[in-house]
Amino acid sequence: MSFNVLIVDDSNSMRAVIKKIISISGFKIDQCVEAGNGKEALEALTDNWVDVIVSDINMPEMNGFELLKSLKEDDLLKNIPVILITTESSEERMQDAFNLGAKGFIKKPFTPEEVKKILYEVIGVNNEGEYEEDRGDNEAFDF
Amino acid sequence: MKENMKKIEETMRLSISEVFEKMFYIFLEPLDDESDEYDMEAAIRFEGSLSGEIRTLLSIEMAKAMIQNMLNIEEDKITGHDIEDCLKEAVNMICGNFLGKFDSAKVFNLSMPVFSEPSLFKKEGVEGLSDEKSRDSGLSGNICRMDFDSDSGRICVIIEVS
Repeated sequence: MSFNVLIVDDSNSMRAVIKKIISISGFKIDQCVEAGNGKEALEALTDNWVDVIVSDINMPEMNGFELLKSLKEDDLLKNIPVILITTESSEERMQDAFNLGAKGFIKKPFTPEEVKKILYEVIGVNNEGEYEEDRGDNEAFDF
Repeated sequence: MKENMKKIEETMRLSISEVFEKMFYIFLEPLDDESDEYDMEAAIRFEGSLSGEIRTLLSIEMAKAMIQNMLNIEEDKITGHDIEDCLKEAVNMICGNFLGKFDSAKVFNLSMPVFSEPSLFKKEGVEGLSDEKSRDSGLSGNICRMDFDSDSGRICVIIEVS
């Protein structure tokens, strides 16, 4: 199984790092779409279907929380799993994201292994890159 | 407040090392002496149960090493935009990591990071820019400065809490 991924971050460097990690993580990626903030992400989703969204929180124009809210209000987009990348790790902020429907967190700074682990858990593939049908929701959360 | 500043400095040192080791593969050694030989800076403000500003000052060599290590690109491919983007991201990570370690139960608001032009910085020096920025931002609290050395060059991180 191959995936389409949307990476949302106002930092070109961070998008490049995430993209590089995904490309070497063993996932079969069909398309990797990039956006600089939540608004650009929503625009990109009008032309592209993606299987998972990896989004920063602190961005200009539309932040990660606002993007999550917009996705959940859209019947076509509400089931796309969203992984939030954050420098902040307050329990309250993470609980807010969980309540809004985020499926996982990547805390900056991160190692490639940490990113791979969350991606595998959220997308539902095992360490050999095989798709797992039977899995519970929100397994990626680790408070 | 003195006890609080000690906790702030210890936590900051942990966060700075973690960010540079994990994201840039650069290992920092604490320095006792201070230098004003820096080319650029990135700064971010934070508000919450603790409020203030964090500034990161670097040489151009250090900035290039960070980008090369993080993105695995050659030095002649690095642009000015890459440097600004990378340094803003670095100060953002240091700030978020520090606040999470300092008080994970509280929510903090972070500003968008700001990058300072090298020409302005060279003209005014570290202390000059610090005084100027403090006046502009209204900060007048406690300041802690940390200098580090590495194989790639030196950095200085200044945290000012109000």
